[in-house]
Amino acid sequence: MSEVLIQVLWVLGGVLVLLSLYIIANKALREMREKRAARIRRDLEPRILEYINGKGERLAALLPPPKGMERQVVEEVLLDNARFLKGNSRARITAACEDLGYVRERVRQLRNPRWWKRAEAAEKLAAMKSPKSAQDIIALMRDEVPEVRMRAARALGQMETRTSIKPLIEAFQDPNRWSALRIADILSGMGPEAADELVESFATLPIKARVAAVDCLGRVRSHRAAGLLIKLLSDPDRDIRARAAHSLGLIGDPNFTPDLLRSVKDPAWPVRAMAAKALGKLGRPEAVEPLREALKDREWWVRINAAEGLRSMGERGLAALVGAIEAEDRYARHAAVATLEGAGVLDQYVEKLASPDEREREKALAFIRKIVAAERTDHLMQTAARHAQEKVREQLSRILAPGEVKA
Amino acid sequence: MSPSRILVADDDSTIRRFIVTLLSDRGYEILEAADGEQAYKVAEHAKPDLMLLDLIMPFRDGFDVLQDLKRAPETSGIPVIIMSVKDREEEIVKGLSMGADDYVVKPFNSLELVARVRKVLERESRQAE
Repeated sequence: MSEVLIQVLWVLGGVLVLLSLYIIANKALREMREKRAARIRRDLEPRILEYINGKGERLAALLPPPKGMERQVVEEVLLDNARFLKGNSRARITAACEDLGYVRERVRQLRNPRWWKRAEAAEKLAAMKSPKSAQDIIALMRDEVPEVRMRAARALGQMETRTSIKPLIEAFQDPNRWSALRIADILSGMGPEAADELVESFATLPIKARVAAVDCLGRVRSHRAAGLLIKLLSDPDRDIRARAAHSLGLIGDPNFTPDLLRSVKDPAWPVRAMAAKALGKLGRPEAVEPLREALKDREWWVRINAAEGLRSMGERGLAALVGAIEAEDRYARHAAVATLEGAGVLDQYVEKLASPDEREREKALAFIRKIVAAERTDHLMQTAARHAQEKVREQLSRILAPGEVKA
Repeated sequence: MSPSRILVADDDSTIRRFIVTLLSDRGYEILEAADGEQAYKVAEHAKPDLMLLDLIMPFRDGFDVLQDLKRAPETSGIPVIIMSVKDREEEIVKGLSMGADDYVVKPFNSLELVARVRKVLERESRQAE
């Protein structure tokens, strides 16, 4: 029995020793490979950088034909530099990738049976930005693995060619295979050309994709989408109307104000909320009064956005908020106070309680009494307990005492 | 006349090597810094003629370095070009209003960068005359 046990222990020990040796050898090999790659990089990088910076017509003429690990290192250096360059240097990287056969190699890898190899190839091709690979990446958007399809879509987005926009918009039309939000993200990064194509194809998109497409049009901030977005403010679908209002705010042309003033009275509250936010961004004086009215909206989101909208309109908007503290409507009062608190206006008045100028102190006292009457005193109570100056703490405590100010 | 000295402060060694090649080929002398702390120290000691400053760096970010450079009388005159992936309007305005002379968004065009470097250095040398 003990002999068997000893034998088992010997075998186990042997396996452990072999495993340790394998791990050590593997690590040593990896380190050797890394050191060799670093040495090759040191040798080749200066010539590659000279080429990227404009020396010679072809990189192939400046280097011996790269083979094995050298080939990998050259690709790595080219793509590392592609990350932060644009313009002529970037175009030279693409030309080198085509010339040295990296594009061809990665296109072949798109048909690899392992899905992660296909995904990796799509990413490398995206960094190479060769128009020669666009059709193969478009074909990859039909891959059976969702992750590969999404990497192909992202690659198309990074390629920034007109040919890559259409397949992405087509992807919008198949919500079972694609996340409309992720496609919208990719299209948003492609600039005004993507917006033009989206405007053209909008009518063909399914409803879910339309909402994402409207968002995308706002994020691109293309004025050429404005006509469609204004039309969509009257769309039967309330989500589309809301997103259209939001997108018009992102584009930010003050001429949209009359259309958004109609939307701030829309029967659906998400539309009213988005229109209020957009009006704040456009900053036109004719929006002050409607936004003040929107402070009384029965939906809190509309009230918050209307108050935020007024706040972003500068002095005029802040004056309207100060006026709204005395509104009959309780919601309007609270929304106004909360926003003035957030904008730091309340604290400014509190500081004036310690002013040597009596008129300033009186003005501050009158303002703070209005806040107390508006029944939103949490912030004032905290300030009364913590303010550094005793005089301010005393005055605040007096105003906040029950019965001091009548609502 | 001795070549202008430019300090490249970026934690990405690939970008540093690229800019070193790009600018030293055009006759500039290049100093390097791989983080915010080092960038400030090199700028303080070497007083370069221009600094290319990344915003996102370990230990101290670029805004912090810029603020300290502009605060100290001995370094406040060093012109700074910010180079950053941060491309939002408010970040660009913040950088310029803190005293940067120019702002280059990554990815950048290498020839454009050279032109901007040249322009800032020429302006400085005109002012020195």
